[in-house]
Amino acid sequence: MGTMGRKTGERIKNLCIFALPGCLVFGAVVIVPFLYGFYLTLTDWDGVRKVKNIVGFANYTAVFQDAGFWSSLGLTLKYVVISVVLVNAVAFLLAYALTNGLKGQNFFRTGFFTPNLIGGVVLGFIWQFVFSRVLVNFGESTGWGIFSSSWLADPNKAFWSLVIVTVWQLSGYMMLIYIAGFTGLSTDVLEAASIDGATGFQRMKSIILPLMVPSFVICLFFTLSRAFMVYDINLTLTGGEPYGTTKLVAMFVYEKAFTARNYGVGQAEALVLFIVVACISGLQIYLGKKKEVEA
Amino acid sequence: MKVKKMLAVLMTAAMTTGMMAGCGSSAEDSAASAESNASAEAASEAGAETEAATEGTGDLAGTKITFLNSKGEIQAAMEEVAEAFQEETGIEVEIMACGAGEVPYTKVTTAYNAGSAPTMAMLDTTDIVALAEEYAIDLSGEKWVSECENSVYKINDKVYSFPFCIEGRGLIYNKTAIEDTLGRDFDPSTINSYDTFKALLEELKAAGMEKPVVLSKEDWSLGAHQLGFIYDTYDGTTAGSAEVIEQLKSGSLKASDYERFNQFMDTFDLLMEYNINGADPLGALYDQDPIFLADGDAAFWANGCWAWPNLEEAGASKDDEYGFLPMFLGNDTSDFANNQIQACATKQVMIDAVQATEQEIAAAKEFLNWMVYSETGQKMLVEDVAIIPSCGNNPNEALDPLGKDIQSKMKEGKTYSSSFIAPSDHWSELGVSMQKYLAGQSTREQLAGEVDAYWTAQQ
Repeated sequence: MGTMGRKTGERIKNLCIFALPGCLVFGAVVIVPFLYGFYLTLTDWDGVRKVKNIVGFANYTAVFQDAGFWSSLGLTLKYVVISVVLVNAVAFLLAYALTNGLKGQNFFRTGFFTPNLIGGVVLGFIWQFVFSRVLVNFGESTGWGIFSSSWLADPNKAFWSLVIVTVWQLSGYMMLIYIAGFTGLSTDVLEAASIDGATGFQRMKSIILPLMVPSFVICLFFTLSRAFMVYDINLTLTGGEPYGTTKLVAMFVYEKAFTARNYGVGQAEALVLFIVVACISGLQIYLGKKKEVEA
Repeated sequence: MKVKKMLAVLMTAAMTTGMMAGCGSSAEDSAASAESNASAEAASEAGAETEAATEGTGDLAGTKITFLNSKGEIQAAMEEVAEAFQEETGIEVEIMACGAGEVPYTKVTTAYNAGSAPTMAMLDTTDIVALAEEYAIDLSGEKWVSECENSVYKINDKVYSFPFCIEGRGLIYNKTAIEDTLGRDFDPSTINSYDTFKALLEELKAAGMEKPVVLSKEDWSLGAHQLGFIYDTYDGTTAGSAEVIEQLKSGSLKASDYERFNQFMDTFDLLMEYNINGADPLGALYDQDPIFLADGDAAFWANGCWAWPNLEEAGASKDDEYGFLPMFLGNDTSDFANNQIQACATKQVMIDAVQATEQEIAAAKEFLNWMVYSETGQKMLVEDVAIIPSCGNNPNEALDPLGKDIQSKMKEGKTYSSSFIAPSDHWSELGVSMQKYLAGQSTREQLAGEVDAYWTAQQ
């Protein structure tokens, strides 16, 4: 009995020492604001007034009736799917190419990673200049129709501009994770496969891809959450233009809360967005983990 | 073993407390410093009171206050003003910039929630309406109220804000460009209707200026400044604009039945037809637009006097001849909208009533008074900040041609002062609708429908 009591005490002590600080910080910066945010969704607050009237679930009804929110969520889904696929495909190929002992591969790794070091805001402004000035000038001098007018002035092309910039920014980062995955691959298995006469494609399909699943899970999670929450690039590259067609959901929610001064509804929309993202990311991790194999 | 364990525990504990302290300290420190500031202020205030008795004026020297500036183009000049003010009074004013894409109102609200509200905030009238009664001090008793009688905005008969400047908008013209193209003198007063304006555009085109008009694609320009004419020209007063907005809200008036809307759309169509950005209207670039005008590639730019810095940057000089034509509405040459341009006090400065100390408030009031009454303040506002002061007692003349034009038009009574008050998302929501129309993605009926829908949703 005595020893057990001591053990429990020990465990509680250890728990307090190691977990408590983290929990407190997490509680202070995540849980408390989250609960407070939920409370705000039940009010008609405009963001600055001192009085907050409780309005029950009226804000949620408003969310479901807000066609703008759902269409921008739809656009965001499209953006997420396309950019997640492209980012990971590009990153994986880059990583594959840069782990084969290519000459100067460290230089290339740094080069591809650099865009990720530039803040999204600056990056958006740079690419805005590229799309609306450089490419248009280029189009004028070469006569190429596709560049004759600014990409940012056409809803479709503006959307693809967003995707291109996202891929350019994120794939370097994901490439690093994939490179780590590639370097961690056990050479024994690969050697064995080669001896057994596996072709490059077979090696990729049956050995490398299954062993790389943990990297995929991490990369997919990162790209999914970053793509869902993207705001900076959206703001500085397109600003939601042309005529509001590239307003992704984070921007929509922000404008709802702060420009339209409809804090309650904006916060409720943010909560809905949170649930959507949490479900999708959770599902992705669950499915990904099931596919993981041991070498 | 035991020692090692103890050591580990101790170290962890030390680290944890260090971490916690790390988190807490900054907040505590700032709180503590705020407290000590406050107590120092209280002390100095007490001191000031006793001194005031002997010296006459309160000693505000050394007070630090903040001023949120929402006009990015005057940031550098305002900093100079603050410096001059500090030299004369010893009060330090920090001019806080509102970054590109940052909404001033959001910035203020965030600051209030964070407990770091600026002592003075320069905002749009709409924002003042939303904030004043809870957050601003009543300025009705200030001396300058009588100087700016025509520009002060009253909420329930009380003045909560200082009208910082007069701004006007319409069609900016480049006289030299017009005269060079036409080879004759150009008298702007001869253009006073849709038809005469159309004839002028046709004449310019025939003389070789293919696209004489610059239309910017910015949503604030299209939504607030262009479309806004339909409210402002109801009868030229803010009260009139409120009336028509009420009618639109209640649905008793449809935009498509509203004469001003249709007149405005006719003119807007005309501007679109001659738009130099017409091939790719949404590809227009706001820093390219003034270059068209300054270079004389175009003769008109639908914009306001705040565009002068942009024009100057684009190569225009203060001696060039620029001025305003009204946004023409219809063919009635006696219509005020065709003879006067819109000009009103746009930026309003409120003083924080909630988080500022007595002394800070006094210093802020002093700053406003200094801008209105001191020679240096008056001169700097006009010459360095390059605004048109809203207080009539300022004897200085605007230096730039757009400001000059508005000042002289005000003297001749050729301005109307309506400044419509709309919800804060009006410019962005209807700006989007206007962009759609500009890009040819919607018809006039659809645009009218969107205007109706926007207003009826506001109830």
